[in-house]
Amino acid sequence: MELREFFHRDAVNLELAGETKDDVLKELIGLLGLDEKSESILFKMLKRRENLGSTGIGRGIAIPHCRSLVVNRLRVAFGRKSKGLDFNAIDSSPVHYFFLIVAPPLEVSNQYLPVLGKIAQFAKEPDVPGRLQALTTPDEFLGLLEEKAL
Amino acid sequence: MHPQLEILLQIQDLKSQRRDLLEVDDERQVEVQEFHVNIDDAIRDLDQRISEMLDQLETPIRSRYERISAGRSRAVVPVINGLCYGCFVAIPTAVSGDVRRNNQIRHCDNCGRFLYVTE
Repeated sequence: MELREFFHRDAVNLELAGETKDDVLKELIGLLGLDEKSESILFKMLKRRENLGSTGIGRGIAIPHCRSLVVNRLRVAFGRKSKGLDFNAIDSSPVHYFFLIVAPPLEVSNQYLPVLGKIAQFAKEPDVPGRLQALTTPDEFLGLLEEKAL
Repeated sequence: MHPQLEILLQIQDLKSQRRDLLEVDDERQVEVQEFHVNIDDAIRDLDQRISEMLDQLETPIRSRYERISAGRSRAVVPVINGLCYGCFVAIPTAVSGDVRRNNQIRHCDNCGRFLYVTE
């Protein structure tokens, strides 16, 4: 299964408005369309995960992720903040591109790790940050995923 | 959502995070290689948080939680397609079909696990 199949255009936001780490995490969670309480629980879990070590992997990319009972299948979202945000990334650079991954604790098809790995692989491709910056529509983002065929 | 159910969900999610870090080699590898997480520190931090959250549970709920989780890896499970995802026995429609049921603490009649209805 390829990365493209997990993303939906409704879960892509190319103009994140948040000015803090918390605000951006909340915006990303909002893309999943959960109820308010589930959003609140998920936010706490993502914060817990961030406290263990930032998910900013460098080159302007962060992959906030966790398992949670508030979802019943693997969910992903993408957000872009063009001017960047301090996310305590490994290379101390501002983060511009955010990939959110949430999976249920019980996952029959066990897609969580492969998806996490594929997104990390995608992020390492030399042209990806530039291509992400140039996107103008969510469909272009989906097209980029398709093109990379990861 | 019932406040105690919210705490149970958070405990379960923290335990899930802990289990991933501790038991699944691939997960550990990803966290260490890609995110530079110190596993020992992470486990300590999670344990402390889990303990704090357990203290917030009312005594009967905590007792039930500890009793169930002692014998099974998961004491809180979702209801998906009308099934308890702990024992896979059908849950009455009145419970399984309505997320508003999360305003009450519910158990599976078969396995006793706490139930959480997802959208």
